[in-house]
Amino acid sequence: MPLTLEIVTPEAKVYSDTIDSVVIPTVEGEIGILPGHIPLLTQVAFGELRVTKGGTTHFLAVSGGFAQVDDLNVRVLAEHAITEEKIDENAVEAAMKRAEQELKASKDMDPQQYEHLQSMVRYSGVQLAVKRRKR
Amino acid sequence: MASTRDIRRRIKSVKNTRQITKAMELVAASKMKKAQSVALAGRPYAQLMADMLAALAPRVSEAQHPLLVQREVKVRGILLVTTDKGLCGPLNANLFKLVTEIKTPAKYVAIGRKGTQFLARTKRDVLADFTVSDRVGFNEVKAPVEFMVKLFLEGTIDTVEVIYPRFKNTLIQEALVRPVLPLTTVKDFVSHLRADYGGVQFKDDRDMLFEPDADAVLAALLPFYVNRYIYQLVVSAKASEQSARMVAMKTAKDNATKLLGDLTLEYNKARQAGITQEILEIAAASFSSS
Repeated sequence: MPLTLEIVTPEAKVYSDTIDSVVIPTVEGEIGILPGHIPLLTQVAFGELRVTKGGTTHFLAVSGGFAQVDDLNVRVLAEHAITEEKIDENAVEAAMKRAEQELKASKDMDPQQYEHLQSMVRYSGVQLAVKRRKR
Repeated sequence: MASTRDIRRRIKSVKNTRQITKAMELVAASKMKKAQSVALAGRPYAQLMADMLAALAPRVSEAQHPLLVQREVKVRGILLVTTDKGLCGPLNANLFKLVTEIKTPAKYVAIGRKGTQFLARTKRDVLADFTVSDRVGFNEVKAPVEFMVKLFLEGTIDTVEVIYPRFKNTLIQEALVRPVLPLTTVKDFVSHLRADYGGVQFKDDRDMLFEPDADAVLAALLPFYVNRYIYQLVVSAKASEQSARMVAMKTAKDNATKLLGDLTLEYNKARQAGITQEILEIAAASFSSS
């Protein structure tokens, strides 16, 4: 019984495949999903999402969102998601630095802007962690 | 009959107009493609969100989240989504018609310069106005939405409704009033969404696990949802704008081409009349001298 996993962001469907198992980062810690899981709706946290298929494990970086599990379907709704292969380390690092600098530079920033930058820094951090885990 | 010089002048100006409208049509067409693809790319996301809300809805008691509470409507909150620029046919005028039909007290928030101008002209109570770029980003829409949600929670306004041109297809955009808040009952809202996006029915009716718990998930999902939903409406409005502009410009171009044909014919007639006249005069002169 294979699981189907779908990861959807506002821009596109990032991932859609049948898999063996998946580990999702949630606000209460990581949660592993195998086929036949009880229906579940949970909040997804910033972190790495591990997909196991045929003995190999793939890694994805996700930002906050929601995940719904029912029996043989796992669907993840995230603001951003990217597969490990697509992460451009240099670009992410540069983006992270820019965001951090902006955060430091202005004291009385618009709170929304602040929040946006902070989430960008966190997402960048997650992407770097996923990319560099093998070294 | 107008002199040939006058006609020539008109032909020149009509030609210029045609050139400009043709260019604008092409620009709008390419922008329309982009806007439409953005609107379509957001669909699986909106669908999935509706599904989640549908799964959640029967399992939480209603009217415990402030966004779900139905209050007596004293002041309506209207978000008017219009374009920044004109030259897009009757698109904005149709939206304004809907606004003028509102007789009960209401406060307005405008997205787009045309709407701001209209509301100012008709002396309506405008709380704020925003502009968004053509390639509208989620963060641009977040500001006006969160502003309105805040007012809603404070009680300044009792509803949040969006007036926008819904994108049906390239030729048809309909002006609509879409109520967003309060989400009277989640179920209504979900069925409404399903009609829009045609999502799948949630089949599994076993007990569902919520982490951390149902209320917490609802509290996180709802505000997020409102943001996303209105964003989707704005994206749809952008697609409408570009389509309407493209169609308006195409009509203008076609009209110019037709006018050009008529004018050219008239010009040729005038020119021929002039030549005939000259020949007559020469003939008459040679007759009288011989």
